[in-house]
Amino acid sequence: MAGIDRASVLGTVARHLADILETDESGITEDKSFVDDLGADSIALIELVDSLEQEFSATLDGFSFDDDELAQLKTVRDAVDYVMRAHGA
Amino acid sequence: MLPIAVDAMGGDRAPGEILAGALQAAEAGIPVVLVGPEGLEGTGGLPLIAASEVIEMDDDPAQSVRKKRDSTLVRAAEAVRDGKASAMISAGNTGATMASALLRMGRIKGVHRPAIATPVPVPGTTPTVLLDAGANAEVQADWLVQFAVMGSVYSRQRYGIESPKVGLLSIGEEPGKGDTLRKDAYELLSAAPGINFIGNVEGRDIMTDQVDVVVTDGFTGNVVLKTLEGTLKTVIRSLLEAITQPEYKEHADALMPALLPMYATFDPDNTGGAILLGIDGVCIISHGSSSARAMVNGIKVAREMVDTGMVDAIRAAIAASSGTTEQG
Repeated sequence: MAGIDRASVLGTVARHLADILETDESGITEDKSFVDDLGADSIALIELVDSLEQEFSATLDGFSFDDDELAQLKTVRDAVDYVMRAHGA
Repeated sequence: MLPIAVDAMGGDRAPGEILAGALQAAEAGIPVVLVGPEGLEGTGGLPLIAASEVIEMDDDPAQSVRKKRDSTLVRAAEAVRDGKASAMISAGNTGATMASALLRMGRIKGVHRPAIATPVPVPGTTPTVLLDAGANAEVQADWLVQFAVMGSVYSRQRYGIESPKVGLLSIGEEPGKGDTLRKDAYELLSAAPGINFIGNVEGRDIMTDQVDVVVTDGFTGNVVLKTLEGTLKTVIRSLLEAITQPEYKEHADALMPALLPMYATFDPDNTGGAILLGIDGVCIISHGSSSARAMVNGIKVAREMVDTGMVDAIRAAIAASSGTTEQG
């Protein structure tokens, strides 16, 4: 769990999101709304969650998003916060 | 050849009709692996990949794929991803089939969104490829251009049409007709290289030889498809009711040899299902009320898509259209 920092988590989230949305990674900042600013639909968000679970399972065994909390993920910041909290940071 | 993974529990008539279709396909020489609950009866000795859950028709597509990780749909997609099957087919929840394929098999690089391509029968000639028939209720104009690219590849590969005529479904033939999405898409399609764009087409053109590929959003495409199915069914039933009256029996007997092939042309069970284009693997979506015959034909289409390298052809076309060069 040690060594995870917010900037690297944001970078990982942005990289996956840019790949899924076929967009420029540099335009993905914490304040961006998934739906309103980035145009992500429900399938894109599920793709993001799935890819983040695979990525962060390497640093936190069994890491996954709680399905009941997915609806609360409105912005990039929400996703970064979720990963940080799960890692105890 | 690797087997085709058949979702044994998908569809209104599962597992009975699905198993019967899988067995017939296997008897015809196509290797099949079923995906269903352990101890499933009626498999006739076909190999089985065990899956303990079933995604129901009314389950939320995206959520169900996450919550039911041991479902037949998810396991079928994983079988393709893991090299245990060459393709998958399901008559179950369409949205969940797309989500399973998308999350487990992945998208072809450069594809914005996969689209469901459905062959619509046209009497006397090759079918018209309609896409998207329901994968994406809302789309963007540039997605429609990709649908045109993928639909053209499908039409060329499957029906041998060298330069398929692509039409944008709208409410009039003139370029200015339609909503903002259609107008933007018209401009992009007109400028897109490698597509034989013929302009706007209307619903009445779909079942003619005027067009080979019709692109639209998934909401409209699905409404069009279901409307066509319902209309054809009603017209054929009314026709049969009319000519089988006792006073017309002799005429009916004489006409039947001509009418039955027409009936067969329009029968959805003969279509062999729709293909999800843009996925990095072959995924066939059969309609919810699929019979054994529909499943056999769908499995045959899956085999054909694998044998003809449809996925690689789409990959090459998308790379060319986006100006990228992929390695491997």
